[in-house]
Amino acid sequence: MRRNSAVRASMCRLDVESAVKEVGQSIGDVLSSPRYVLGRGVKRKLVDCEDPVPDLPYPLQRQLVMDLCLDKLQSCHRRSEPSLHRSVLLANTLRQLQQEMRQEGGGLSPTLAAACPAHAAPATPRHTPDLPPVPSDCVLAEEALPSLTSCHDLIFGSFEITNSTSYLTDLAPDDIFDDIDTSMYDPSDFSVLAFPSLRVGSGAPSTNGEEGLKTFSSCSPSSALQHRLSDLNDLDQIMEILVRS
Amino acid sequence: MAGTGAGGNDVQWCFSQVKGAIDDDVAEADIISTVEFNHSGELLATGDKGGRVVIFQQETENKCQPLSRSEYNVYSTFQSHEPEFDYLKSLEIEEKINKIRWLPQKNAAQFLLSTNDKTIKLWKISERDKRPEGYNLKEEDGRYRDSTTITTLRVPVFRPMDLMVEASPRRIFANAHTYHINSISVNSDNETYLSADDLRINLWHLEITDRSFNIVDIKPANMEDLTEVITAAEFHPHQCNTFVYSSSKGTIRLCDMRASALCDRHSKLFEEPEDPSNRSFFSEIISSISDVKFSHSGRYMMTRDYLSVKIWDLNMENRPVETYQVHEYLRSKLCSLYENDCIFDKFECCWNGNDSVVMTGSYNNFFRMLDRSQRRDVTLEASRESSKPRQVLKPRRVCAGGKRKKDEISVDSLDFNKKILHTAWHPQENIIAVATTNNLYIFQEKVN
Repeated sequence: MRRNSAVRASMCRLDVESAVKEVGQSIGDVLSSPRYVLGRGVKRKLVDCEDPVPDLPYPLQRQLVMDLCLDKLQSCHRRSEPSLHRSVLLANTLRQLQQEMRQEGGGLSPTLAAACPAHAAPATPRHTPDLPPVPSDCVLAEEALPSLTSCHDLIFGSFEITNSTSYLTDLAPDDIFDDIDTSMYDPSDFSVLAFPSLRVGSGAPSTNGEEGLKTFSSCSPSSALQHRLSDLNDLDQIMEILVRS
Repeated sequence: MAGTGAGGNDVQWCFSQVKGAIDDDVAEADIISTVEFNHSGELLATGDKGGRVVIFQQETENKCQPLSRSEYNVYSTFQSHEPEFDYLKSLEIEEKINKIRWLPQKNAAQFLLSTNDKTIKLWKISERDKRPEGYNLKEEDGRYRDSTTITTLRVPVFRPMDLMVEASPRRIFANAHTYHINSISVNSDNETYLSADDLRINLWHLEITDRSFNIVDIKPANMEDLTEVITAAEFHPHQCNTFVYSSSKGTIRLCDMRASALCDRHSKLFEEPEDPSNRSFFSEIISSISDVKFSHSGRYMMTRDYLSVKIWDLNMENRPVETYQVHEYLRSKLCSLYENDCIFDKFECCWNGNDSVVMTGSYNNFFRMLDRSQRRDVTLEASRESSKPRQVLKPRRVCAGGKRKKDEISVDSLDFNKKILHTAWHPQENIIAVATTNNLYIFQEKVN
């Protein structure tokens, strides 16, 4: 869980640097409440780094983004809340960058080549763990790419929620009807009781369910329900009398 | 309908109430994950990461003073979902409530649907103000009486008691989703509802829990080919055969259930071509739609992507009719936001009662009101500092660069941990509920 201390957007080298001098001016102004204390003359992470150069050459910018991408994809499983949406977006971004690089005919960095050796454990024949460093030719790029795409299955495949826990979580239908008191006033309870196969509980076998459906549709529920509703109205009136007494 | 005529900017917003712990130490379970008014606006439900639902009720206004403020007080609290463990995958299934949707009221009880990643539950919230007394076989405390001591018979009577609000689960809709549920939407027929996960949308009947119909399935035969997921889905407010779903690629598909059982072919596809001048490494990520909402009229729909809100006319597919920038000053910070994962935050959006103003959240506990009729917008803040009773909220301004004026806050000073993802607008009045991490703020229109 993220700590609840203020999180600023730590300056990524690619981002436009807003005037860092602004930080010092925040002292004594309207917004200088304790919450903004980090804005008061505290040097931004970016300033501590080497050169805050917003205009890195494009290939280096791209490389940085790709490195981040791979990093995030690989740490997907370690997250407390794995997200298929996030993984798909990351994979798409990565794929797009790879395509761009392929079109330019540039080589791939070692980081990409070493993309998911751990994940591709059932290794494809073309996966070679011992890749030479600093590859600069397209052939290697082609070889490295399949190992990345074979990761997709492993990355995307882990998001399925299996139904193994259903037996642990089914609400016991009996619990709901234990309390007799609540059944008096509500017509919807009645309809549930009348058609027991439609009760809460997802474990109902399909045949039961079908019977239930047939019963539901064939016995013109509106008239049955009307009848029960008028019964309940009478009951209501009786209760009124009793309460007043 | 009082107050809905005024646009968002003629309206001055005042602090009304704040719910939740005051201290800055946020317990993870208290993080609010969804906020929803019911159809009359009398009830306001919140869900949190700990699987609890808290419902607030609006106090009936003082009839002598029609303009007096009404307050929301706790009406019911219950544990909706519990954490589960998937033994096969060794994954915990979170109990976090992803969405709450109210059913229109049909009798004295209230019903709502709440969902976590896997299971949807129908809850009945009912009031009890009478209690039976005078049983023959039981004592008042419930113990059974010795039958040999019973010499007379009496008729049990109902006696008034202190109001008790009970929540009970009436239906559990489970085991229909392999992927994480992101949306539920009740149909205008009041009999069915849809639930959407990353790859599929299912149609349910409210009475039937052991089966559902799959109406959209975008899972590719080969998962390696997966490039797009479903991010949100909603039924049309009046046409029970129509629903929309949005995707991570920034498209919205409108489907007609009369066309076929499996709505894999859309009736309409809403997509705006990308602006080439804004192209960046993150173009696709920021185009992912995080929320889609129909207007109350049913004529328009609104989508929220990372930087903007778009209003679409259902009759025009090739571009939105209106586009509003929520926090354009973040465009130059996308890499940092990508680094710290904020770029994946999913903001919601909402309409006011007469569809003239829309609202959405941002960072630093800011939220934005976008007035469609007057083409104006304002940034407001939900903070403890502006929490004096009936204190009018002052507009906030963010300085994107250059010389920062007085009262402006610079982009670098924004707190990206303080995000407003969930907001809700009362269906009839100018009352809004804004959720910060673990607090719920209620603001009302200033009344003179």
